[in-house]
Amino acid sequence: MKPQPASRPAATAGGAALPLDRDIDAFIRARSQRWQELEERLEKLPNSSLRNHGREQLLRILHLYRLTSSDLNQARGFTANPELLERLNQLVGRAYRIIYQAAPARTTRRGILQFFTREAPAACRRQARWVAIAACTMLLGVLAGLVLVLVRPSNGELLIPQAFFSESPADRVARIEDSHERIDTVSKAAQFGSFLYTHNIQVSFLVFALGAATLVGGLALMFSNGLILGALAGMYLIDGVGTFFIAWVGPHGALELPSIIIAGGAGMCLGRAVLVPGEIGRSQAVRLIIGDVVKMLFTACTVLVFAGLIEGSISQFSAKSVPYGLKIAISAVLFGGLLAWLFMTRRRAPHA
Amino acid sequence: MRELRPFTVITPEHVPIELVPAGMGRRILAAALDVGLCIGMISLLSRLLGFAPVAVGILVKTTGAFLIAWGYHVWCEVRFGGQSMGKKLLQLRVCDARGLPVTLHQSMARNAARAVDMLPVAGIGLLSCLLDPWRRRIGDQIADTLVVNEVQPSQKAEQRLERVTSNSLDIPRLRRALANHLSLEEREFLLSLCLRAPALSETVRYDLFESVGEHYRSRFAIADEHLSGEKLVRNLLALCYRRDRK
Repeated sequence: MKPQPASRPAATAGGAALPLDRDIDAFIRARSQRWQELEERLEKLPNSSLRNHGREQLLRILHLYRLTSSDLNQARGFTANPELLERLNQLVGRAYRIIYQAAPARTTRRGILQFFTREAPAACRRQARWVAIAACTMLLGVLAGLVLVLVRPSNGELLIPQAFFSESPADRVARIEDSHERIDTVSKAAQFGSFLYTHNIQVSFLVFALGAATLVGGLALMFSNGLILGALAGMYLIDGVGTFFIAWVGPHGALELPSIIIAGGAGMCLGRAVLVPGEIGRSQAVRLIIGDVVKMLFTACTVLVFAGLIEGSISQFSAKSVPYGLKIAISAVLFGGLLAWLFMTRRRAPHA
Repeated sequence: MRELRPFTVITPEHVPIELVPAGMGRRILAAALDVGLCIGMISLLSRLLGFAPVAVGILVKTTGAFLIAWGYHVWCEVRFGGQSMGKKLLQLRVCDARGLPVTLHQSMARNAARAVDMLPVAGIGLLSCLLDPWRRRIGDQIADTLVVNEVQPSQKAEQRLERVTSNSLDIPRLRRALANHLSLEEREFLLSLCLRAPALSETVRYDLFESVGEHYRSRFAIADEHLSGEKLVRNLLALCYRRDRK
């Protein structure tokens, strides 16, 4: 992309001087060598860490970048030559991207441990109000579903997907308790569990993204999920098999529901920064909280893997293999442990 | 569909840099290449796990397919400075709104939002791109990123100007006069004037174009007195930067 040569001297138009007193050709000639040098030096470090290059080389690139930035500003002041301006724009943009890039994060075993012991809980605690909003929304949905079905059982057919109506809750419980275990091999548990957690993680992505993009969409999805859960609980209660329901949903629900709530809370937290950023502007608002938000989302995904594996095994066992009391105790321990891990971890006192 | 606009970034040195957002066609093509690659990797994984014990095979296959489908883009974007294989082939790059490479957090957020962008049959993502002047899908908007052309195509002068459809100055005498008597500096001056015109106040713009127009009107003996100064300048410039100009 060679700029057009300017072979003619000073600009004059029919005797009257135009406001052009610069020689573009001389400008390009004087600087093209350093532009070339910057291009060549940038070619040698594509997308790689700057740590691998010598101090002298990096300082030289920085120097050339600053000079070329200045050249771009000057060129914009007195020429509209698109080829020259775009060449400089591209060169400065490329150097800027490399010089100001963040240092690459290094994943170490200690870093992973620190993430789960300190960073993830800290992020959840910092954004606890968004998690609380998401939890309240889902709880509201559960209560609404429960009340609607208890007041009028026929509401259940309107609120719960048709797939759940192949048989009544009491018949289902009797069938499960009287027949062989549905999950009787490790491969079945693995297959069902892996299907469940991959599906649930995608649901958490959906809740997160809807919350981040619209705020209201995330809330609506949380409420509707709660509504279905509440209505289903109501149906089982009416049929007198409420204990089975708690023992069935409890072990995995103790991890799964909080994870979806955390993902929803993370989405809404990001949604607030995107949609209502305030005086600092959207970019700055997003940058301030995106670290916490992604840590929360990643935490939710990790917990969902365990929830899926539990749902694929323990949750499916009948009372013959695992008594209801034990299942409910497992649920309580898992739920308490999750809350203690994420929201009750105390900060370590600073070293003296 | 909103018109594609360059995205301007101000560097810490106070130099504005223009990034050219990628068009829809290239993005769709890059996405199709990446999807093909992911399908290939998942098939390969399935074949490799054919000899593993059933329980392990199922678990690893399902998890691996999930990780490839959702993690491939994150890994590529962080590892290769915002370029997946498809984007690299089509010379596209994901960068953040400051023009810098995407961070791990941004990449994870923008790719998790595929759950919404892909609904239904990628309709939301496409619609979001079409309505945004920088062609950002939902994921880009929430993570404050955008996809830009790695190599910015050099726009020709005539592409930067409004297209002149009918030009009363397009006559052999004036074409010859412009070719032989209008210097490069003068052409640049006229081009610069037209490009900067939108930033001028109405009065200054009118006065400036009238003054310049009057100069060229007398210099090239242009008799069309109904042409405004600005129209005359734009028509002259259109003649200067004609595609068939030698």
